[in-house]
Parts: sequence; C-alpha cells; structure tokens
Amino acid sequence: MSLGAPLFPNELAEPILWHPVLFAYALVISGADLIILASLAYISKRMTKVIPLLLVLGVSFFSAALLGPLADLRQPSRAPLIFLLAHLSPTETNPGFSFIALYANLWLMLIVLSLAFLLFYQSYSMHLKSLTAGRLRRFYSLLSLGVKDEKRYKKLTPIITVISLLTITPAVLWGVYPSVLLVFQTWLFLWRSWVILPLIFFADTFVASTAATLLVYFIVKMGRLEEEVVNPLLKIHSAGCVSVAGLLGVQLLLWNQWFEGAEVYAAFNVVVPVIYLVIATLTLSFLLALASLKVARLSILVSVAALLGVVMNKWNTLVNGQLVSRTGLGVLDLHLPSDWLLTTLSPIAAAIFIFVILSSIFPLEVKEVGQ
Amino acid sequence: MRRRELLKFALGAASILILPSSSAQAKHKRYAMLIDATRCYGCMACVAACAAENNVPIGVFRTWVERHVRKDGNITFVPKQCNHCENPPCVKPCPTGATFKRDDGLVLIDDETCIGCGACIQACPYGARFANPVKGVADKCTFCEHRLAKGLLPACVEACPAAARVFGDLGDPEGEVSKIVESSNVLVLKAWAHTDPKIYYRNLPKEADV
Repeated sequence: MSLGAPLFPNELAEPILWHPVLFAYALVISGADLIILASLAYISKRMTKVIPLLLVLGVSFFSAALLGPLADLRQPSRAPLIFLLAHLSPTETNPGFSFIALYANLWLMLIVLSLAFLLFYQSYSMHLKSLTAGRLRRFYSLLSLGVKDEKRYKKLTPIITVISLLTITPAVLWGVYPSVLLVFQTWLFLWRSWVILPLIFFADTFVASTAATLLVYFIVKMGRLEEEVVNPLLKIHSAGCVSVAGLLGVQLLLWNQWFEGAEVYAAFNVVVPVIYLVIATLTLSFLLALASLKVARLSILVSVAALLGVVMNKWNTLVNGQLVSRTGLGVLDLHLPSDWLLTTLSPIAAAIFIFVILSSIFPLEVKEVGQ
Repeated sequence: MRRRELLKFALGAASILILPSSSAQAKHKRYAMLIDATRCYGCMACVAACAAENNVPIGVFRTWVERHVRKDGNITFVPKQCNHCENPPCVKPCPTGATFKRDDGLVLIDDETCIGCGACIQACPYGARFANPVKGVADKCTFCEHRLAKGLLPACVEACPAAARVFGDLGDPEGEVSKIVESSNVLVLKAWAHTDPKIYYRNLPKEADV
C-alpha cells in the first residue's frame, strides 16, 4: 500500500476480489477461439487436416470455462441461479443487463453447438471405429449417429455447415470475455481506462489457442510435424502475436496521451513494465514463428514463448489491474489466499483431463471422405 | 344489522379511497441523505452505530469517515457510504438480479439470491460494497431500511452528535433535506460518473471527491 494515498477501507479488506483463478479462466476461454478456427476451416475447406484437433481441444477447453468463476463464487451452491434468474433484460427494479448472466447462457448455447459440431463431424469416424472396437462397439455405434456409409455422411455436410456457422457468433463473443465485463461493468481505475482491452483479449485468445494447439500437436506427433498442419497455425499465431503487441503499444500511447501529467499517472507503473515484457515475449514468438515456417520443429519454442507472454499478460491485466484503487491514486498490496495456485491450476487441469478423455474417443486425425 | 352492514360498506369504501393515496405517497418517496462536512468532527459514532445495528463484521464498513487535509492545512472529516444512486452501476452487472433498486430509491441486496460473484462490488465507483466474510454475500448500507419500516431514522443519523447527517424524503417538498438540496449549494461524489447519488454534501472539500 502506498502510504498517504487515498484508498477506500473496503478495498483494504480484500484487495484482490477476483482471485487468480480468473486468470486461469481467461486462458481456458481460448477454447472458444479454437472452435472459431475449426468452424472457419470447415466452411472454407482450408486447414481441413487440423479440424479434428482444433475441435477436440476447443471443446475440452471451453467445457471447463465456467469452472474458474465457479471457484471464485462465495456461494457456489447458488450458481444455477445464473441460469434460472438470469438478469438479461432491464426492468424498473433491475436496470441494465448482466454480462455474467449473458455469457453464462451463451456458454450453454456454445457448448451444445460445439458438441453437435464435434459429433456430426466425427460421425463417420465413429462408425469406422465401431467396426473394430470390440466391447465398445455399441458405444461408438451410438456416437456415429446412424451414419454407416460415406454417402450418408456427405448428406450431413449442410447440417455441419449450418452448425459451424451458428457457433461463430457466440464463440466470437466469448473471445472478448471477460474483458467486456472489466471495461464496461466495473469501476476499477485501470480496467476502466483499458479501453481497447476487448480487442487485446480477442487477439490474445488466438495467440493462446494456436500456441496450445501447436504444443499439443508437437506432443501428440512426438515432433514429427506436418507442414500442412503447422504452417497455417503458425501464420494465424504470428498475426495474433503482432496484433496483441501492437494493441498493447497503442494502449500505452493512449494512456500517455490522456493521463500524462495527471496525479493518477503513477498508477500505471503497476502494469506498464509487465506490458513491455509481454510485447518483447510476443515479438520473440512472432520471430520464432517465422523461423518455424522453414524449420517446423521450432514450433515448440513458438508455443513456449507465446504461452509465457499470454500468462504474463493475463496476470498483469486481471491481478495487477485490481491492485490500483478506485481512486486511481493508491496502490494495494497483493495478498493471495494460501490455496491460490491449486485453485488456479484446477480449471486448466480439468480442461486437460477432458481433452485426454475426448481424444481417446475421437481421433485427432480424420481422413476426408473419399481419401 | 343494517347499520352494521352500512358501517362495513363505509369502512370498505374509505379504505379504498385512502389506500391508493397512501401507496401513491409511498411511490413518491425518494430517500436521501444530506451530510454537512463542516459539522463532522470524526468521532466515528455513526460507524460504531452502523456496525452495531447491522452486525457489520470487523474490517469491513457500511459507512466510514475519511480524514482529508485541505490545501490550507485544515482538516475535514467526510463520512461516506452507499450513495443509493438513481442510476446505480452496481445493479446492472448482478447476474441474478439479487441487487435491485426499490421504488423509494433504496438500492438493496437480496441475501437469498446473491451468489457472491463480486460483480457489484467491482462496479461500485465509491468502494461502498464489500463481500461480507460471515454471510458470504455482497453487503452495503441499506439506509437501515428495517428501521425506516418502523418509522425510525437510520442508525448513523440518530447517533451523530453534531447533526452532520440529515435524512429525509426528496419527494416531500417541505422536508428539511428537500429544502436544503433545493436552496443551497450541495455536491455529490464523482458527479462525472453520472450515477446520480442520493447522498448530498455541503462543504465537501475537493480532496474528498476521489
């Protein structure tokens, strides 16, 4: 706490109201971007080889997305009320609408759509698997949704296209969460001033999702990478890294323009040094991605650098962002609960666990019909 | 028998005539508080009275008193609390509608439907809300609505020895608060936030508007 600076006493009682689990949550949300990539790949018929991996990883990550905020609730047993009493439209007693309620309901919609996408997309593979599955034959046969030949699977194409189209809007909306909540429905000084945060989050989730996919692909293929799969991901990843680094630079310029010379300017010292580190790390990841286009095995370093940058960026935004008082003048000390690391890692661990289960059911490489 | 029936009818008719006017009166109620910063001398009686009346746990505050040193070196004490804003930013992000605005202007929390997400706490520009460590829900000043229902004043107002706090109904043009708010130069905290607070200040030092 900086002495002499105005702070509100209730801020001192609990400086970090939203614990670092929110930061894990923001990482798991990158599942939404994987679903966007899978949808776009399916519709455009490009990057088709990577669709199964994107879908399985996306569904696994996104299905764990609500575990983060659930862990942060003081009354977790009342969580279903978000769906039952959702504050989605304004009334006289409850003006406005809640982003938390909106996004919880969108999560439900997106998880149903992405599961349908996954099941329809993998239906023929499931049929093929049921032929050789032995005791699990009935299970895989059920997942094949009655598809028993290529002709029947081809008939599903319009349905899969519609579902993939439908997933894009809620997934894009989820790509900017929780930044919209931080900027538009809180009054914390730094978050309120971080006006382009939704754009940064959107680009950042692409960086996180492509980095995670490259890492998983590297592990699954034991380093034997196919350029056809890696290169499109590297290109998207590079664009994401440049966008995040550039947008962070723009935000620094805006803060300088708006607040230089003002009493509150010192508050930005809490986040600005880390922003420089994030820009440097993402620039490194971008350069490594360019090199990986020629030497694919370098993609593991691209992932590591990017994930380091993403972790620093999320921590800086979500945890350090809460350390500046609403007054914009005082800075609070960071006090974390003793179990913060376990609580933070558990949604990520849950996402990885779901991925292990799903990847044992659904193949991560599907031969296109006719191949 | 006829007389009794006539009496019953008359009473019924009278209640019909009276009830709408009294509920209409209730609808026009707009509770507000006026705080005169020059009268407060920082005795904290309001803070203690509030904590005792509302079982406020140690370390968190429904009301508090800030000490500000003016540029001329003089000290001013400024009591603060929930502003019961006309346009409350804390109500919008509540996912379950547990925090709501009543007809009489009170912004309250339903302890039974609050999930403890903290969105309303982060949304308050005045730092007036906190997570109640005992109840596990969001908490803040209620203007002692349980006392208002009995025709009593909020505990902080009753406890103030310097009459620095005046409580009243802005819907009553003859009330003390309405008259002062209308006639004198009163200020609200963070007017630029467009929350339209219902706590008005007289002689508020510039340093306190943070």
